[in-house]
Amino acid sequence: MQSIVKISNLDKYFGRLHVLKDISLEVKEREVVCLIGRSGSGKSTLLRCINFLEEPSHGIIEVDGIKVEGGEKGKEHRQLIHDVRLKTGMVFQEFNLFPHMSVLENVIEGPVTVKGMDKNQAIALAEENLDSVGLLFKKDEYPNRLSGGQKQRVAIARALTMQPKVMLFDEPTSALDPELIGEVLNVMKKVAKDGMTMLVVTHEMGFAREVADRVLVMGEGEIIEDSNPKDLFTHPKDPRTKALIDRYRSGEN
Amino acid sequence: MSQAQTMDQVRTSQAELLYEAQQRKIRQFRTNVIISWAVLLALLIYLFSGPIELDTEFIERNALFIAGGIRETLLISVISIVLAIFLAMLAALGRLSTIPPIYALSTFYVSLIRGTPLFLQIIFFFLALPQLGIVLPAVWAGILPLGLNYGAYMSETFRAGISSVSKGQREAAIAIGMTPIQTMRRIVLPQALRFAIPPMGNDFISMTKDSALVSVTGFVHETMWRATRVGRAEFNNLEALIIAATFYWIMTLILTFFQSRLEARLARGDR
Repeated sequence: MQSIVKISNLDKYFGRLHVLKDISLEVKEREVVCLIGRSGSGKSTLLRCINFLEEPSHGIIEVDGIKVEGGEKGKEHRQLIHDVRLKTGMVFQEFNLFPHMSVLENVIEGPVTVKGMDKNQAIALAEENLDSVGLLFKKDEYPNRLSGGQKQRVAIARALTMQPKVMLFDEPTSALDPELIGEVLNVMKKVAKDGMTMLVVTHEMGFAREVADRVLVMGEGEIIEDSNPKDLFTHPKDPRTKALIDRYRSGEN
Repeated sequence: MSQAQTMDQVRTSQAELLYEAQQRKIRQFRTNVIISWAVLLALLIYLFSGPIELDTEFIERNALFIAGGIRETLLISVISIVLAIFLAMLAALGRLSTIPPIYALSTFYVSLIRGTPLFLQIIFFFLALPQLGIVLPAVWAGILPLGLNYGAYMSETFRAGISSVSKGQREAAIAIGMTPIQTMRRIVLPQALRFAIPPMGNDFISMTKDSALVSVTGFVHETMWRATRVGRAEFNNLEALIIAATFYWIMTLILTFFQSRLEARLARGDR
């Protein structure tokens, strides 16, 4: 199958701190890839480099055939980044819904303002996606009237309505109360089942084991393990992976 | 079990009683404040109707003439505040800019204007600029310094408003492909404005009163100018100023009323 995301020799420095070290990675169409690892291992930064919320220091990011060289400058570079962002949908830990817009307005904002889509067409598409996350009945509410789980589901619908080629999830359940995590994970499973290519930074090992096609373990700015979830959870190779999984197991019991 | 239930009931009713007592206290306080206000107002009216003798004939003859200035006062204030908002927005954006000359221009403007008296600025526009061959229409020579002055002060409010919008909001906008200008216009500014509207209302109220300073120039026939004119002409300054003060006070009360309603509505808003 065709690869949607291709990262080659990516380096990222914050000042003198080397947070991503020569990372190469390919994600194929319809693949669900989970990124796990201790905090500070660089997994969120890696995700944020894909849509250039963080500008890579070196290396190449390729999304659906659009190739962008990290660390460049100029108008052409900015245009390429813009094109990449249209191909990627992002879901944040803190939801980041726009508080001054209703749920529906949040969801159609991107298609209408950025893509110049006809408003009625955008509304139809938005309602379809809100329905699929189970929140069509909340379309006229404002975000402050929603629970955390509902906010995150709207955020997923907002990202989907941009019709991206790949969805990036940055710890989508980490800011949620435990009893609200399930509803968000269920929506994400549904998105995966519908064939979306997904990259998910998460601490939810259960989700990784159940839904992911591949799990990447990050440590100290490197990918230390890349395998299917079954092998990873039963025969972790790296001691750091083993420690992560043991901690998850002990939390489970 | 049943004992626990009754305990709960006792606790609720205790909480209710406490709440009620608190509410009663608040209500009583408010009533007393209103009564005291009424007494003070009555005292003021009594003072000027008996012990201090006012020329009622003068008041009757000139009240309407002075009231005619309210239109000018409000006109100057509205145009000045619009100008001030525009300047404040630019200055606030400049203040948040990472381009040194733009940042410098913004802080230079704010520092210069806030570092000199408004009164001086108004007279400067009337008396100093003509020396350079710049003669502005009288109303504009009043509006420009007021707008410039309030713009400098309001830029701080705007800057705080823009800073109050979280980084996550910008990132969400950028992630759906918005340009920096779209992000500012669609996401950041609407939220910043909501934050800045209550203080802007206060500024507008101050502006209606500071617009009286424009009267010193003698060319703008607003409330204060009219009051001093008729007051001086007949040496009835006391009556004239009382009339003007009454009008300013009423204007302020009305504007404050709308301001507090607006504030309540925004507080209910969708944050």
